Amino acid sequence: MIADNPYTLSPAAVNDLRKHQSTALIVGIVGMLAMVVGFFLTEHGQFMRSYLVGFMFWTGTAMGCLALMMIQYMSGGAWGMMIRRSLEAGSRTIPLMMLLVIPILAGVTVLYPWAFPGADHLKAVHDKRLYLNVPFFVARAILFFGVWCLLMFLLNRWSLEQDRTGDINLARKLEKLSGPGIVIYAFTMTFAVTDWVMSLDPTWFSTVYGLLLCVGQCLSALATIVAVLILMADKPPLAGLITKRHLHDLGKLMLALTMLWAYLSFSQLILIWSGNLPEEISYYINRLNGGWEWVGGILLAFHFGFPFLLLLSQALKKNPKTLRIIACYIIVIRIVDVFWLVEPNFNKAHFQLHWLDLAAPIGIGGLWFSYFFYQLRQRPILPVNAPDLEKALNHGRHH
Amino acid sequence: MAIPLQPIELPDEVPVGPIIGPEENLTTVTDKLAGIVLRRKTGYGWLMGFGLAFCGTMMLLMAMTYLFLKGTGIWGINMPVAWGFAIVNFVWWIGIGHAGTLISAILLLLNQSWRNAINRYAEAMTLFAVACAGLFPIMHMGRAWLAYWLLPYPNTMQLWPQFRSPLDWDVFAVSTYATISLVFWYVGLIPDAASLRDQAEHRWQQVVYGIMALGWRGSARHWQRYEKASLLLAGLATPLVLSVHTVVSFDFAVAIIPGWHTTIFPPYFVAGAVYSGFAMVLTLMIPVRKFYHLESLVTMRHINNMAKVMLTTGLIVGYGYMMEAFFSWYSTNTYEGFMYWNRMTGPYAPYFWCLIFCNIITPQFLWIKRVRTNLIILWIVSIIVNIGMWLERFVIVITSLHRDFLPSSWGMYYPTAWDWAIYIGTLGLFMTLIYLFMRAIPMITIHELRVLVPGGVRSPQPVQPQPVKNI
Repeated sequence: MIADNPYTLSPAAVNDLRKHQSTALIVGIVGMLAMVVGFFLTEHGQFMRSYLVGFMFWTGTAMGCLALMMIQYMSGGAWGMMIRRSLEAGSRTIPLMMLLVIPILAGVTVLYPWAFPGADHLKAVHDKRLYLNVPFFVARAILFFGVWCLLMFLLNRWSLEQDRTGDINLARKLEKLSGPGIVIYAFTMTFAVTDWVMSLDPTWFSTVYGLLLCVGQCLSALATIVAVLILMADKPPLAGLITKRHLHDLGKLMLALTMLWAYLSFSQLILIWSGNLPEEISYYINRLNGGWEWVGGILLAFHFGFPFLLLLSQALKKNPKTLRIIACYIIVIRIVDVFWLVEPNFNKAHFQLHWLDLAAPIGIGGLWFSYFFYQLRQRPILPVNAPDLEKALNHGRHH
Repeated sequence: MAIPLQPIELPDEVPVGPIIGPEENLTTVTDKLAGIVLRRKTGYGWLMGFGLAFCGTMMLLMAMTYLFLKGTGIWGINMPVAWGFAIVNFVWWIGIGHAGTLISAILLLLNQSWRNAINRYAEAMTLFAVACAGLFPIMHMGRAWLAYWLLPYPNTMQLWPQFRSPLDWDVFAVSTYATISLVFWYVGLIPDAASLRDQAEHRWQQVVYGIMALGWRGSARHWQRYEKASLLLAGLATPLVLSVHTVVSFDFAVAIIPGWHTTIFPPYFVAGAVYSGFAMVLTLMIPVRKFYHLESLVTMRHINNMAKVMLTTGLIVGYGYMMEAFFSWYSTNTYEGFMYWNRMTGPYAPYFWCLIFCNIITPQFLWIKRVRTNLIILWIVSIIVNIGMWLERFVIVITSLHRDFLPSSWGMYYPTAWDWAIYIGTLGLFMTLIYLFMRAIPMITIHELRVLVPGGVRSPQPVQPQPVKNI
């Protein structure tokens, strides 16, 4: 840390983060213990599926942080400056998720129907074996995480260097990497979610799926970061620096992403529903029957309708208390969305919520948050030498 | 836990780069822009351009007359390709008509003040493009005099449109979009019409612009209502930008034809529309700013920003192509796989590869700042993108229809001279309207630029010549 940096976290703020870190760690350890118990008590398939829900959600959040970080380097804007360091800390959790992908890779043959012993005689699986085979699947996962770690590493390093040296070329370098970085993120993540989630039903496909999940990841990440930002906002150095205008902008961005998620989900639903083709409609038949339709209805009403109405209000967006509640709420409903992506592929006959479906997202989430808070207190909370910092801080002040 | 708003000591706001040239002030802006309309002599360049465009319009009228006499048989459409140029051109024009509202509505909501110099022009372009687009479905009906059947109205025949068809949604989406765009454009015009009324030297000009100004006196109350109306209209127009091309994409994607029925279509069509819209704005803006000496009002910053928007949307379009290609294989569906194979190697393969060159390879040059700020190269790139986006619609419409499920019903599509006459005719109509617009209305919003110049309300005070981050 740099001693004379005005944006270094105050001891009080660091103390807070430490406390949150320990709390999260306890939650994480308890959750993990529950999962170990679950591993021995329940059927392995169920364990893997619940684990996948937790893994996908938190990997998505970490990757959403990376994506938003690159987007804010490209777009500029005060909102990005205020959350840049939090996004960086979020992206630095990618190595943790890389560690947590190992159970998925180890359990491929339990989790993915195309890898079940004897699955090859199914025509769809047979025709896709060039892509959907275990060695290639593992190699792709390693490649994706490798690329993401590289992006994360460079962006984090240059940003820290900028704090130290204030070299204007670093800002340019960050921008130059972020442009192609977003393209790389979109392509690799599309294939990653095709592998990890879409291929749970090896016969089904949808071309908008990757984009839909990327938008969901950005929303999860933004909600998490906004909640954490407001958590730190009452202690120096952030106290007095964050204006209502910043919160308003972040709230607007949450609204935009909520709407984009709904738009893409609706497009996929109406096109597949109206086409009613055998290889596509199975997805919605599984999800709109046997009790699952209630989860779909909940998503429609509470992943789109409710937050949409809340976020339309300017007062709620500008008030840190209410915005934090909305952000936390969005995190919860995002987990329901990931649950809806994974589980109906397996419990086709009727709706089923296993206790592991709660334990896994909470357990992995505890670990994630603990590591995130640890990373967050490693750096000053604002990039002191970033070219537009003053402008960003003045956003929403009359002077 | 309230967040106190304490004032903090910080240096002056960092300049955001020249949105407007340093030599401009309140007087020069008004004089320059109003002068183009009121005092500038009609030059030979304008007359020649207008004359050529007007010939195109006449050709369109002639071709349409013959079409209504003879029917759509004069076109190249037949089974299996029953949607030909008319749909290709409809989608192309509608796409071009997306830049205006995007610039004026979404960029207004995002506080992007650089939009001020280009929004009027882009909105006018939008209106004219939508007008050209709207002609095609009516022509395609064959019996244009029955076009009102598209609207739901109580009638003795008990005849209603098919509400479950996206083609009918199109009627509502496009007409709503056209209406809101027109109102938005006109509202923005009112204060400028008043400026023209006050500066006009001839009686007839005073009367015409006076009527257009609707009694605008520039009082504080007028301005306050004006700002409120603009924000409300922007809020209304924003979902429309997305909805129109989404519905257009549904026209295709709701059908179960391979190459049409794919879930990426809505976002990818919207991105493609913005892509072609910005390409068209650049194609028109680059020469216009030179001929009318507007370099200090439409600055390199505008050009650079527009090029960046083009690159971004172009990449989304490229993502769409890649998803289509990958999933046509991944689906393991014979027809899906054949559709893409046929696009790449079938009789229309040259069009497909041209499209890839125009839409995917060419915009990659926009990563380079020198290309984004080189007017001639950028102008060429924008034209290539326009062509590419036309080819994209051609490839989607034609290749998916000409070889579908049954080889026995395969066929080919060849546009006739009448197809071309109508297409080129709409280009003529579009340009005619653009020429008239530039002659009769200030092509840049005067009052919005007046707030940007030094001494204006929103100008970054004090403007210091400092190195600029993104030019």
